[in-house]
Amino acid sequence: MSAVVSDTIEPFPTTNGEEKAVTLDSIRRAQSGDVDAFELLYREHSGRVYALCLRLKAGDSSDATELMQDVFIKAWRRLATFRGDSAFSSWLHRLTVNTMLENARSDQRRVARVLPMEDTSRLAGAARATGVDLRMDMEDAIASLPKGARLAFVLHDVEGYQHQEIAEQLSVSVGTVKAQLHRARRLLRERLES
Amino acid sequence: MTHDVIKHLLDDYVTGELTEEARGPVEDHIAGCEICSAEVESLKRILARAADLPKSMDPPAEAWSNIRSAIERDEKAVRMHSARSYDFWRRPYLLAAAAVLVAVLSSAGTALYLSGRSSGAQGSHATASNSGADATPATLAAFTIEENNYLRTAAILQDLLEQQEGSLAPETVAQLKASLRTIDEAILEARNALARDPANKMLVEMLSATYRQKVDLLRRTAEMTRGS
Repeated sequence: MSAVVSDTIEPFPTTNGEEKAVTLDSIRRAQSGDVDAFELLYREHSGRVYALCLRLKAGDSSDATELMQDVFIKAWRRLATFRGDSAFSSWLHRLTVNTMLENARSDQRRVARVLPMEDTSRLAGAARATGVDLRMDMEDAIASLPKGARLAFVLHDVEGYQHQEIAEQLSVSVGTVKAQLHRARRLLRERLES
Repeated sequence: MTHDVIKHLLDDYVTGELTEEARGPVEDHIAGCEICSAEVESLKRILARAADLPKSMDPPAEAWSNIRSAIERDEKAVRMHSARSYDFWRRPYLLAAAAVLVAVLSSAGTALYLSGRSSGAQGSHATASNSGADATPATLAAFTIEENNYLRTAAILQDLLEQQEGSLAPETVAQLKASLRTIDEAILEARNALARDPANKMLVEMLSATYRQKVDLLRRTAEMTRGS
């Protein structure tokens, strides 16, 4: 089956060719210990990281905020190892997913936590608080997905990662990622269109 | 291709991930199959809605102050640790001796462990796990934090040393660089071993100790250049 499938979907940006000069300057200053420069990086990237955290955390704004804070604290500690081989935003996104997975592994309570299917209002509420006019039903439907399907869908269909990248990050096979994606799309279609 | 085969290819068809040669038969089938045609349209709508979701949302206002507080606590801890080891390591001959000792111990320790592991039961998982108690999630979480701190501190100190190496004797710099290379190789070996056997507490401790040695060596050198 895989012989007829290619993996040519456009990946999440992985080069820093278009990294803004102001971002590069902030990175360099933050690497030398300038917390104010790091705050500029936070202001520039926290919205996108937070949106990802919210979706990874099934719309729980408290969990999402905690995860985002962990990500930026970790980013500060690891900033010296960022050499610009990828875009800073890609580096942060990878760090976000890795941090979420590390936290889950180190805390069984979090692993066991499953959002009940009927409790799908949290992301909508969090999004409303930010003033963003979301397609609430789509966000709610994503939040209601089983964890594996949700991760695959958010990373592939929302964030644009490739199957192979997701497989590596989640330590599963490409086939598993595709199966989770198929499941996620089928469940979303059932919940949004039936 | 039959309907049963093609229905499993519809996701890849919609996302443009089918190869050229597979696309034709799938398109021919969809043109004559109402079920698959409807599924394709439904999938396209879902993907369009996913693509249309906002990519950015404002985080809570207090998040940055929490992050900043944590960063400042980190920096304070690094400075305190640095101050404690300042006086003793100002002496160059001790630094050179330490560089050699650290490199030898790091390399030998890792090599010893790895060779013992492979000669036991041909690297079986059972042997690896028996060579050290299993690392608990708490141990690994603590180690992850510790590793992050070491990586960051080591990188900063290394940058600092590169700027200030002119104040050290050339032979000391050469010895230091050779030692750091050896330590880095030891770290890489231990890191790879840990990737293969992530539950092994002994590896966690070994890697942690090697990071600690590297940071200590760098810090002592940095303090010495500052004091010279």
